[in-house]
Amino acid sequence: MSFHDGKSTNNGKRLAQGTAFAVFRALSLLVVAILVIILAFIIVQGISVISWEFLTEMPKEGMTAGGIFPAIVGTFCLVAGSMIFAFPIGVMSGIYMNEYLKDGYLKRFIKLMTNNLAGVPSIVFGLFGMALFVNRFGFGDSILAGSLTLGLLALPVVIRTTEESLKAIDDSFRIGSLALGATKWQTTSRVVLPIAFPNIITGLILSIGRVSGETAPILFTVAAYFLPRLPTSIFDQVMALPYHLYVISTSGTNIEASRAMAYGTAFILILIVLVVNLLANWLRRYFAKRVKMN
Amino acid sequence: MQKYFHNLGEKIIVAILTISGTVTSLTVLLIVFFLFKEGLGIFSMSPVTEGTVIAVNNRNPVTSLSASQLKEISDQNITNWQEVGGLDAPIKIFRLDDITDYFTEDQLGADFEFMPQRINEVVVKDPHILAFFPDEYISKDFGGRQLQLANITVWDFLAGREWYPTISPAVRMGVLPLILGTLWVSFGAILIALPLGLATAIYMAEIASNRVRGILKPIIELLAGIPSVVFGFFGLVVIVPLIQDIFGLPVGETALAGSVILGIMALPTIISVSEDAMRTTPRAMKEASLALGASKWQTIYKVIIPYSISGISTAAILGIGRAIGETMAVLMVTGNASVIPDTFLEPVRTIPATIAAELGEAPQGGIHYKALFALGCILFLLTLIINVTVDLVSAKNKANR
Amino acid sequence: MLLTTVLLGACGRSGETQGNNTEAGGNAPTNITIKGSDTVLPLAQQEAEKYMQKNAGAYITIVGGGTGVGISAMQEGTTDLAMASRPLKTEEKLKLKGAAKDVKEALIAYDALSVVVHPSNKVNQLTREQLERIFTGKITNWKEVGGNDEKIVAYSRETSSGTYEFFKEHVLDKKNYAPGILMMPATGSIVQSVSQTTGAIGYIGLAYETKEVKALSVSYDQGKTFVAPSVEAAKNKSYPISRPLFLFYDNSVAGKIKPFLDYIMSAEGQKIVLETGYVPLG
Repeated sequence: MSFHDGKSTNNGKRLAQGTAFAVFRALSLLVVAILVIILAFIIVQGISVISWEFLTEMPKEGMTAGGIFPAIVGTFCLVAGSMIFAFPIGVMSGIYMNEYLKDGYLKRFIKLMTNNLAGVPSIVFGLFGMALFVNRFGFGDSILAGSLTLGLLALPVVIRTTEESLKAIDDSFRIGSLALGATKWQTTSRVVLPIAFPNIITGLILSIGRVSGETAPILFTVAAYFLPRLPTSIFDQVMALPYHLYVISTSGTNIEASRAMAYGTAFILILIVLVVNLLANWLRRYFAKRVKMN
Repeated sequence: MQKYFHNLGEKIIVAILTISGTVTSLTVLLIVFFLFKEGLGIFSMSPVTEGTVIAVNNRNPVTSLSASQLKEISDQNITNWQEVGGLDAPIKIFRLDDITDYFTEDQLGADFEFMPQRINEVVVKDPHILAFFPDEYISKDFGGRQLQLANITVWDFLAGREWYPTISPAVRMGVLPLILGTLWVSFGAILIALPLGLATAIYMAEIASNRVRGILKPIIELLAGIPSVVFGFFGLVVIVPLIQDIFGLPVGETALAGSVILGIMALPTIISVSEDAMRTTPRAMKEASLALGASKWQTIYKVIIPYSISGISTAAILGIGRAIGETMAVLMVTGNASVIPDTFLEPVRTIPATIAAELGEAPQGGIHYKALFALGCILFLLTLIINVTVDLVSAKNKANR
Repeated sequence: MLLTTVLLGACGRSGETQGNNTEAGGNAPTNITIKGSDTVLPLAQQEAEKYMQKNAGAYITIVGGGTGVGISAMQEGTTDLAMASRPLKTEEKLKLKGAAKDVKEALIAYDALSVVVHPSNKVNQLTREQLERIFTGKITNWKEVGGNDEKIVAYSRETSSGTYEFFKEHVLDKKNYAPGILMMPATGSIVQSVSQTTGAIGYIGLAYETKEVKALSVSYDQGKTFVAPSVEAAKNKSYPISRPLFLFYDNSVAGKIKPFLDYIMSAEGQKIVLETGYVPLG
């Protein structure tokens, strides 16, 4: 590396930098543009479909009219079910890995396994869920099987956010608490967790976003094509938003007529993601402010 | 006493936490177990449709046929016994449904009770016959010769070029087009996503003001949150027709359409991982470079990028991983033709799309079901390799510092 | 894990009481599950929708997946009715017999398969032999069958569908599709793709025909007579590529599903068949 001090090279340098930065700015803008195009496309086409009827009624006329109420309820059940499973286990697992497990091969192994689980394709979760929950445990196509499959998928996300929020906490808190005679669990539950809590909740909310949009894992574990009633037990099948979008955008005797329903469903899915992200961001800022005030 | 309970409580909590900590490892092991238990089963199975007998006349010198020969015979691309090592005579195919050409319903019996003996008569009479029928209908004194097919081997499975999982009498399970299709689409995705993602990461990490970064970050997160089926829907109604128009193609459902969609989906991973990597560049190094008179741009490409190169490669690998496993979006836009593609402008069929499209139909425990689980194994192994590579890269990186 | 199950159970039970409240006014609830052919799916969905409007206590779940899925689900007892776009195969009959099922069939409608191309295509008719050679990859350019010099892009349904097998048996003379055929997950996608691809050819149920695609006349006598697909032509059997649509069920659930089957067979039910684009019985 050598730098000359001549004026011409300085100009050249400035030009190179200017060009490079302009390119980067343009490409970043392109990424933003892609998102804006996708969002705008679906929002513009979808928003006119949204009505009280669309949100609260059963599908009608071969899914070309009516609403998507059962799919909304179905997705809600699946999200709730998977979180009931993934949240406690994920948070406990995160605590274990960060607070209790000492550095070494075991920690590295568990970490690697968690990363592996995070990298497993969603369709493989679908295969696994079908083999284990649907067939081996005999749950059949049901909310229970679907929720457990989605819960496993969300688990690594919850573990990772928990771990990272715990890692961010300065050791002085722990040492201080232990020095005052508190046990390790008392330290964890009364000192460390309350500080980490906001970030953990943010992670939870983001994983809700992920779970609500997954199609492949529910394909063979719970999703129904048409089921115009609400589930009455965890062994019922349900309709779900992402599967519903897949179905009405690829099948049905009149694709053009159900296009509007497809845009509406896509809009609702995007809306869930938007709300979840905004909520997570807002929470993050809110808690950050509170911590500062404290 | 109180202290004792205290300790006990503490111990129980530690036990619960430990159990939770092992759940992910347990799940991975269970996935491996179930996937491989079902998937490896395919290698102890014959490609012949379950319960089907393939038989020839006793005088026929042909003693074995391969699955691919059987398919060519069914397609009437092979019509003479000579082509498969027999006499120079036309092959006469007999399927169960053809029995009514030979006998009346009365001769078969009301409950098909005479079927075995009738089939036997047909096979014994015609020296050039090749008969396929259910094994329930094989008579005890069967006068023909049954042909056995060799089990599917690992090589047949991985290197086979034909994917016909449901044809009779013998299936063809070659997954090479599917593996290549998956890699092809993912490779294209990374070609699109890497330059774009890296540029954005550099912009966010080094160039943009805090305010701009504060806007970009949530946008990237939002992009990561959009469900894949929404991307697929968008691809179906926008990208596919667009690609068809731009390149003047006969067909818009191509590997390129899949790559574009997957590229967009891999962007958030690439951006956030490589941005994080660049941000870890020590301030001292950056400042030293600037103090030596280097411009900001020179500092970026001579100091920051070399320093964070392992983080950037991690980002690229994770991006590929995301692309390889993506299912719904690809299913909707790539056309799903099981051929080995020559260019990006041809339709391809990927492993995840194949599983999603076919698992519902495959009878449980059958050869097709097992083949799809074997595809799941391949997919799992691919992502496992990716994750272990990432782990090694980051471990090496830590050791270097 | 245990905790999860218990909590989920609680959630489910509370849902149940709600469900019972809403049902309080109606008859005793009957739950019917229907699974199988994607071709029958839209028809079954419409019939179920109208039937449920009339019978407050009836609940019908409809799941797709393909004819094969429906029949194996019936064999496992996970569905009451199996939708099928073809008769049972001999192997399936034997398997069902083995599972001690006393299977009954109900013919509910006919469906004609239309061969469709892009509206701008100047080819209006093809013989069965030409179709066979197109879908097995022997003919690859439209000029070989009297069209423009343009590559043929053939679309098929996925291997799971009864439509795929029916077309293979009755049009391709049991030969296999060429590997380069594009496989679409649902008939709707074929319509979508054919409508935006000038060199495309595909096959769809009559019900799926729209203005965006053009249906071809087909000849089964080496080009002597060509017949265009229509409800009338399918009814009087002059259009060759038509097939029966069935609902299969085990005799043990006959009592439960009989009112629904009767509804489909009624004049009103058969009117829905026609409205959905299929061919009514008789």
